[in-house]
Amino acid sequence: MKKFAKWLLLVVTIVVTLGVTGNMNTKADSNTPATDQYLSKVKAKGELVVGTSPDFPPYEFTKNINGKSKVVGMDMEISKKVAHDMGVKLVIRRMDFDSLLVALQTGKVDMVIAGMSKTPKRAKSVDFSNVYYKAGEDLVIKKSDLKTIKSYKSLAGKAIGAQTGSIQYNLVKNQATKSTLKGMDKDTDLILALQTNKIDAIALDQPTAEAYAKNTDGLVAINAHFKDEGEQGSAIAFPKGAQSLVNSANKSIAEIKAKNLIHKQYLPNAGKYLATGKSKSAKAANSMWAYKDFFVAGVGYTLMISAVSVVIGFLLGTLLALMRLSKNKIANGISVSYIEFVRGTPLMVQILFIYFGLGLVVNIPALLSGIIAVSLNSGAYVAEVIRSGISSIAVGQTEASRSLGLSRSMTMRFIILPQAMKNIWPALGNEFVSLIKESSIVSIIGVKDLIYQSRIVQADTYRGVMPLLITMILYFIMTFGLSRLMKFFEGRMTHE
Amino acid sequence: MNNETATPVLEVKHLKKVFGKNEVLKDINEQVSNGQVICLIGPSGAGKSTFLRCLNMLDQPTSGEVLFEGQDLTKLDDKQLDKTRENMGMVFQSFNLFPHKTVIENIKLAPVKVKGEDDATATATAEKLLKQVGLENKADAFPASLSGGQQQRVAIARALAMNPKVMLFDEPTSALDPEMVGEVLKVMQDLASEGMTMVVVTHEMGFARNVADKVWFMADGYIQESAEPKTFFEHPETDRAKDFLAKILEA
Repeated sequence: MKKFAKWLLLVVTIVVTLGVTGNMNTKADSNTPATDQYLSKVKAKGELVVGTSPDFPPYEFTKNINGKSKVVGMDMEISKKVAHDMGVKLVIRRMDFDSLLVALQTGKVDMVIAGMSKTPKRAKSVDFSNVYYKAGEDLVIKKSDLKTIKSYKSLAGKAIGAQTGSIQYNLVKNQATKSTLKGMDKDTDLILALQTNKIDAIALDQPTAEAYAKNTDGLVAINAHFKDEGEQGSAIAFPKGAQSLVNSANKSIAEIKAKNLIHKQYLPNAGKYLATGKSKSAKAANSMWAYKDFFVAGVGYTLMISAVSVVIGFLLGTLLALMRLSKNKIANGISVSYIEFVRGTPLMVQILFIYFGLGLVVNIPALLSGIIAVSLNSGAYVAEVIRSGISSIAVGQTEASRSLGLSRSMTMRFIILPQAMKNIWPALGNEFVSLIKESSIVSIIGVKDLIYQSRIVQADTYRGVMPLLITMILYFIMTFGLSRLMKFFEGRMTHE
Repeated sequence: MNNETATPVLEVKHLKKVFGKNEVLKDINEQVSNGQVICLIGPSGAGKSTFLRCLNMLDQPTSGEVLFEGQDLTKLDDKQLDKTRENMGMVFQSFNLFPHKTVIENIKLAPVKVKGEDDATATATAEKLLKQVGLENKADAFPASLSGGQQQRVAIARALAMNPKVMLFDEPTSALDPEMVGEVLKVMQDLASEGMTMVVVTHEMGFARNVADKVWFMADGYIQESAEPKTFFEHPETDRAKDFLAKILEA
């Protein structure tokens, strides 16, 4: 997960180097009159696109409402109010907490609300609204540890988990220096880690900690007793320079504060969704069967991404292999560089780069970005497989074909490729099986594939292992099915 | 058939071929008339196969000219070469049948794809050729199930399907078990007696003596002797040829 943060940093660096955030030094304050176009643009399209990471109850979390996973919570109520006050529709985009600010900077979302604390560091890359809520920090621990753990100081030599990129992560890092810090992307993973004794405590925002403790058997929340490092509380993030949006949001926040809506209305509402967590009817709703539609949709997306990528990857791979084998030095050079570069960089970075990096030039939706990245990646690997297949065909085959008057391309098409295909079929099958599995990485940019859906089910049901088990079985069925299919065609290609 | 004055189908002038530092063909000047059967013999490594492959440009000559019906092949581009190769059949030592296609598909492929013949015509021609080489019952077999002799006969039929003006044979019986050599030579002999122009690289001295109109003896990158078989085998002129024939008779 630390690696992920590094890669993200790389993407952000590229984004910054590309000079998008040119107006980075513009100081924002709430009284500045707005001269920018952000608000009028939002009004023109009629919707406010909000990015959030819905694993943070009661701020934002998902709930299975009539078979559909909805993002609910205090922050969503605030977003509704902000959007309503602007006179536009609210559209919610879910993504990893780490990706939120990048998404904001690259224009994928108009605002980010995720129980996100306003810090000077973050304020360098985005503009914040006024603080709408401030709460202390808690530790979630097991009930059995209640006697021994009193604050973060009791955890010397033990492991504390926190969400990567969160305020609590930095507090643990700076203050609990005698403890080991384990960062993870998802709070649900942290809870699972605590339950399975991978870590001894989780540092969380107080309301979130209480929500998890209330809804998970055997867990309690206690005050972490961190020293105040000057946190200002949670605020809404906007792109740098979007003063018009900041002003509009501040007006809404002022009204919320004046009417005390958070404590009177928003938190109790969020609690209602959460309170059902342990009741019998909730258990029935949390059975995996109730979430079958999620898994079906996930399998659908995964199969769709894989199928399209296999086809494009195969065509691209064939083209690259032919270029690599051609005598044309330019074609050869392009092909070699492409293959080496793509094979030498992680698929995860490629996906992030296409979605966020390329997204600066043209706005590519997440699903399409995922398909493009997986296809381009697969093409490089397939190219090497096909090249080895072509090289494995004896030169006599080409000579015989050419001596009959077949042209170079006819020889390739009718003589070499069909034979090469038969030789590389098992290797190609391997490649396609790993493509299905690797496509799971697209979930980091919010593509609703199987992994993404299983995350939602985990978050919704507060059950960590069962969704994973089901996901694993579903992946196995897909890959096993594919390898049987490949075997079937391999049999049909045998000539005796 | 034995007509020295007819227009040469093939002619090479000052043909030279260098591989790296190795001068394989030094200066070859010969011609092949219509209907002639030439047997190219000589010690291993003399450049016989290279010479044959220069005739249809599978190997690009380093310098010199290769004239097919008066046209210099070394000056043609890829497309024109493909067109010319249709008229020059070639049979290889290792058969080189297409293993993923049946016997009849092997034979029909070029007529259909290159000449654009319709399937029925190509099938009829292929069946006739298979009968000619004695394999009419193997039409739907895959090459892997055939013996070496059968594969080579299919390869000959495949080359003939394009109705070539010249047939080039590159040691067609060298990879065969001894008992299968005869069946292939028989097909070639029939072909010769039908008037096909042929250039044959071979170690089968019996075939050279009985079938060839002319024997070319090649050694050290040159054609040392060009003579009628009777003359060559009974009265070789050069020491190189005498030496070669003596070694063969010893064996």
